[in-house]
Amino acid sequence: MRTDTDRPGLVGSSVKRVNDPRLLVGRGRFIDDISMPGMAHATIVRSTIPSGTVTSFDVADCEALLVLGVDEIAAATRPIPCVWIAPGQEQVEVPVASRQVRYVGQPIGIVVAPSRAEAEDAVECLAIDLAAEDGVADSLQALEPGAPLVYPERGSNIGVEFPIGDPSELVEEAMASAAVVVSRRLRIPRIVPSPLETRGVIADWNPGLEQLTVWMSTQTPHHVRDHIAHSLRLRADQVRVVAGDVGGGFGSKEHLYADELLVCLAAMRLGRPVKWIEDRVEHFTATFHGRDAYHDARLAMTEDGTFLAIHTSITGNLGAHFSNVGTGPFRVSAVMLPGPYRLPVAGASIRAVFTNTTPTGAYRGFGMQEAAWVRERLVDEAARELGMSAIELRRKNMYRSDELPLVTPTFQEYDSGDYGRALDLVDARVRAYAPAPPASARIRQGIAVATHVEFTGLGPSKAQDIVGFRLGGYETAVVRMEPDGSVFVSSGVMGMGQGIETTLAQLAADRLGVPLERVRVQLGDTGVAPYSAAGSIASRSMTVGGGAVVRASTALREKILRIAGAKLEVSPSDLELVEGQIHVKGDPRTGTSLEELVTRAWLGLDLPEGESPDLECKYVHEPLNISYPYATHAAAVSVDLDTGQVAVDAYWVAHDSGVVVNPMIVDGQIMGGVAQGLGIALFEKMLYADDGQPLSTTFMDYLIPLSSDVPTMVMDHYETPAPHIPGGMKGVGEGGTIVAPAAIGNAIAAALPEIAEQILETPLSPGRLWTLIHKAGLHDG
Amino acid sequence: MTGEPDIRITTTVNDVTVEAQVEGRTLLSDFLRHDVGLTGTHVACEHGVCGACTVLVDDQPVRSCLMLAAQVDGCRVDTVESLGTQDDLSPLQSAMWAEHGLQCGFCTPGILMTVEGGRRAGLDVRQVVEDALPGHLCRCTGYQNIRNAIESYFAQGVQA
Repeated sequence: MRTDTDRPGLVGSSVKRVNDPRLLVGRGRFIDDISMPGMAHATIVRSTIPSGTVTSFDVADCEALLVLGVDEIAAATRPIPCVWIAPGQEQVEVPVASRQVRYVGQPIGIVVAPSRAEAEDAVECLAIDLAAEDGVADSLQALEPGAPLVYPERGSNIGVEFPIGDPSELVEEAMASAAVVVSRRLRIPRIVPSPLETRGVIADWNPGLEQLTVWMSTQTPHHVRDHIAHSLRLRADQVRVVAGDVGGGFGSKEHLYADELLVCLAAMRLGRPVKWIEDRVEHFTATFHGRDAYHDARLAMTEDGTFLAIHTSITGNLGAHFSNVGTGPFRVSAVMLPGPYRLPVAGASIRAVFTNTTPTGAYRGFGMQEAAWVRERLVDEAARELGMSAIELRRKNMYRSDELPLVTPTFQEYDSGDYGRALDLVDARVRAYAPAPPASARIRQGIAVATHVEFTGLGPSKAQDIVGFRLGGYETAVVRMEPDGSVFVSSGVMGMGQGIETTLAQLAADRLGVPLERVRVQLGDTGVAPYSAAGSIASRSMTVGGGAVVRASTALREKILRIAGAKLEVSPSDLELVEGQIHVKGDPRTGTSLEELVTRAWLGLDLPEGESPDLECKYVHEPLNISYPYATHAAAVSVDLDTGQVAVDAYWVAHDSGVVVNPMIVDGQIMGGVAQGLGIALFEKMLYADDGQPLSTTFMDYLIPLSSDVPTMVMDHYETPAPHIPGGMKGVGEGGTIVAPAAIGNAIAAALPEIAEQILETPLSPGRLWTLIHKAGLHDG
Repeated sequence: MTGEPDIRITTTVNDVTVEAQVEGRTLLSDFLRHDVGLTGTHVACEHGVCGACTVLVDDQPVRSCLMLAAQVDGCRVDTVESLGTQDDLSPLQSAMWAEHGLQCGFCTPGILMTVEGGRRAGLDVRQVVEDALPGHLCRCTGYQNIRNAIESYFAQGVQA
């Protein structure tokens, strides 16, 4: 890890994470670790068919504490609102339960019993009749004439269609004028987020207080609280959501699912706590998936490789209904399509399609992984067609640092950075790489790069409103110095393994001149935390939430120095706060102890005129812009011609995510992100039969990377502060996942030039590659 | 299958004798978590692939979601709670902390028990990193720092 600026203090320091000892000794408090007196257990009843109607739901033979079927649930709930609404989108809310089933896994009832095993037994005794109809899983098949209709009353499976960016006349004009147009159909299949901890919830209704307390594994406690209250016709103050330790989210826990509402409803009906823990099969079928899009994409350029235009026609699979974010991932693919390149013309058309599959929503990378796959594959294909170096082609077309800030044709205001430097750093690493020669002549080796700019830290609220995203983009921090001098930080963002509890504490401790162990960061409880509309999504916890902690901590520091200045009869600007002491700058002998000053302040003593005794500051951070980190990655791969097996031999990352608060944590975010991207590149695909019956429902048939699959990575970092974010941080949670599939895909294409133009779809599994290799005649002789 | 807890077992969990009546179908993972109250053992897939629920039964790493509680009658069971305390982490736990070998921490207890089992069986660092660790799924870390932690732990001179 190297940075350009070594600065004193806790920011920029690889301190060990504050929560780890607890997690290491088995004292985490994940949702299934919580038990309470009288707690009952729920199982969700789900559709086993992709399309059809619930014709009867008979509970007569079912021994259970409570059974609720579709009709009772529908009558007791209001539909869950969609959050991101596309232009022309008619479906803006989704019923909690319906007799019409449209995917396998759709909840149609809930059974509650004293134990989970008894609840599962009881489900077997329900008599449910389902009248099956034809279903369709693939978005292109769903558009064919005569395809089964997910919503017959609509007359078509198209959910919504809209363009992004430059108008089609301009795009076509640029394409027609170009010497070279590289045109491909690329596909990004469906991904299952697969945090190791599945979803889970415990709900408890207090009839005296008329308050519902909901413990949940979630990334977005306030957002979930609002939607529970809405759907159950409660006031917001009647619902408190508490998230403890969250065992990974990756986007799959960023909103309220119908399942979780059913548990709340059951707890209210029974008057006792009810727990539901999703099992792994349910995670494969009932938790929203990510990706699933076809891109018919074109990149146009002059003879010398100067880019002229990029365009993609996206056919995106919505699944059975609009998820909370609906077309959001397809839209983000479109707006981030140009990446770091000077593209005078850029645009996309989006066609979002209903199918009889689990709805698609957020997953790490959110549309940007798809954009990187499409763009970076086209760039490497262009280099091949032009006979140019892929690195030179990139360097030629990248924005220079002196061109920033600028607004792209797809309305992104790129803020700061030096995109070419990341490319140069990786290029130097690759040039210095001396791979061991292959073990046999049947092993091919290839090295390639991919690069990207990323959209992190939603986001100015007004900008979100313009694109139909109905969640506020600000974050609030409350920072309080307690009477004993310890510090309490409260924020609405959420920890889910990314270490935000530690990095927020670093920001506060750094500004307040106290040791890290004197700071406690409290997250996840709507009864305590300031309101957060969007929570921990979109790589925003550090940029937006951290920016708020920076400002609130600075305000508190200034207040403490004002009080000290009055006491010491010096100007606050002449004072500094270091390691629990306040003294005149450069003169440690003068001054006062922080703890004594704080204790007396809370007693209401020694305060200057007009100063209140509370040492608590709150700051609402509405960011002025999205922040745009960027990176270049490179992969070295070996491909076995006889098996189609790929090994990733080496991997390099050069990255700029603005000011790095904790280099060790940032490295960890990138390593983990790259591993998920490697899974996309080589292994992961949620499979459906043509009619919508899911075919991958266990970790035996949906493979995620193992230690033996993921190489040791080499990383270079440098820092260009985000100009619009207090503290200068940019987001870092998703970049690794976004660009890794393209780097690996390009490396495989480099290893196999005979089939490079057909490297268009992930996963590049042994079966897919072997087939392409075989068809190219590489198994002959 | 019935819901009757009609099987009597006596087992030693983390050096404490536990006597219990269990249902025949009760998984060892559920028994440890919900009957004994040791929630450090995590359940992530319940089909024996991910390794999060790994515990030691008579020093052998086992997936406690693939074993019945009734099967540990007369056996010694060690869980993550046996390794160290927050104030006094074991050398392996300290190495995981120092190397940032965990993010969400959900898979971590199982990995710790596999490495501990490897140590007790006298495996060397290469066997633990290359053969044992790939029996676990971690979705957060990308494994690099877990490998670093195991190597650092073994470099301290592990007593087999």
